[in-house]
Amino acid sequence: MFSYLANPQRFEKFARIAIPVCGWLAVALIAAGLWYGLFSSPVDRFQGDTIRIMYVHVPSAWLALVLYFAMGVASFVYFIWRHNLADVAAASIAPVGAVFAALCLITGAIWGKPTWGAWWVWDARLTSMLIQFLLFLGYIALRAAIEDERLAARSAAILAMVGLVNLPIVRFSVEWWDGILHQGATVFRADGPEIHGSQLLPLALMAIGFTLLAAWMVLYRMRSAIMARKAANLQRLREARA
Amino acid sequence: MRAGAIFLREARLAFAGGGGPAAPAAFFIASLTLAPLAIGQSQATLQAAGPGVICFAALLAVLQGAERLFGEDVADGTLETYGLSGLPLSVVALAKVLGTALATLWPLPLVGLGGGIAFGLPAEAAGMLALALAAAIPGLAFLVAIAAALSAGARRGGLVIALIAAPLAIPLMVFTASAGRAAGIGDAAASANLLLTCAVSLFVTALAPFAISAALKARLE
Repeated sequence: MFSYLANPQRFEKFARIAIPVCGWLAVALIAAGLWYGLFSSPVDRFQGDTIRIMYVHVPSAWLALVLYFAMGVASFVYFIWRHNLADVAAASIAPVGAVFAALCLITGAIWGKPTWGAWWVWDARLTSMLIQFLLFLGYIALRAAIEDERLAARSAAILAMVGLVNLPIVRFSVEWWDGILHQGATVFRADGPEIHGSQLLPLALMAIGFTLLAAWMVLYRMRSAIMARKAANLQRLREARA
Repeated sequence: MRAGAIFLREARLAFAGGGGPAAPAAFFIASLTLAPLAIGQSQATLQAAGPGVICFAALLAVLQGAERLFGEDVADGTLETYGLSGLPLSVVALAKVLGTALATLWPLPLVGLGGGIAFGLPAEAAGMLALALAAAIPGLAFLVAIAAALSAGARRGGLVIALIAAPLAIPLMVFTASAGRAAGIGDAAASANLLLTCAVSLFVTALAPFAISAALKARLE
């Protein structure tokens, strides 16, 4: 599919349909998820109303991870096959991923204050997410620091791949460093999710809605970036002719 | 041009120029001096924070020379000469970083040992920390070299190097400091942490030359 879309005209055709579909579906799913999550799901026995932050917190965490992975894969595709669109994709993903990581950290802090009694604790998962946020920032900073566009793209792609190789070691080391405070995995478990159906439904709605929201933002940014490049090329042509 | 010749040339240049091994060592000592002034002189605090502060300061000392590592080679054409030498760039990167690191970073474990004793760590803990630092420094040097190669020729390169290298250096930081901390309380996990430090350092040393060569290749085209 990637080599099919590598042609900018085909991508334009695809994006023209995919962008509004993703956008409106995201609006619908997030609205439904918010309604279920805020009003229609019961109060948690242990955590009370603070549980409702989870419906924003957990999808943000998933997306920060997924987007980092996607950025690494897009960088790999760009580095090996030099598809420019893959580079545009990686560059478009980075700020979106950083925002989701930040959202995860902020909602986590708001949830942590009443639940753990502290805005921030240095446990493995929080720290990993903070590191993830830093990795996104490093990628964005490197891209911004190099003026030559092609050099910036290739350097950033190498960085994203190095980060992807390094991420499992970072996670392992941070878990090693930490005792366990955070709750373990409750949704993706071998013996089925350990979460009540009334909480799983809004969580699933929000997770899919957030994923579509991310897809909408990334595709929108990609199309804008392609158009900006085209406009710059036209400008250059016009100046050359004049 | 042979890899050994590059190694020797880079080692000599790094040893003689820009302060040589004295620059990172002095920087390391300066940050270790500031730490007790910042966190207070209570013996218990210093003992508890010592291994972590020493590792952190060692990372800063490795970072301080990073901008020079590839910036000048890219600017003055040395990189082109290396590119024409017929050696794979990954071998060049390995020789260059090893040469520079061995010539300039060898005092760091010794300073770490002295720092550990000055922070009130028991002798075994200070020794373990120095060992772990010695094991971690090749890995740190190569991670910093990746960041340096990626930001060679960038505006405000030094800032970007620090931002890129910090998250990559986390595993080495964790294992090195844990080795010192565990040895301080007589915990058997100290040697496990030392082995993990060695493992991560070797892993980085083995793979980093390829990332560095990819970054340098992009700068040759």
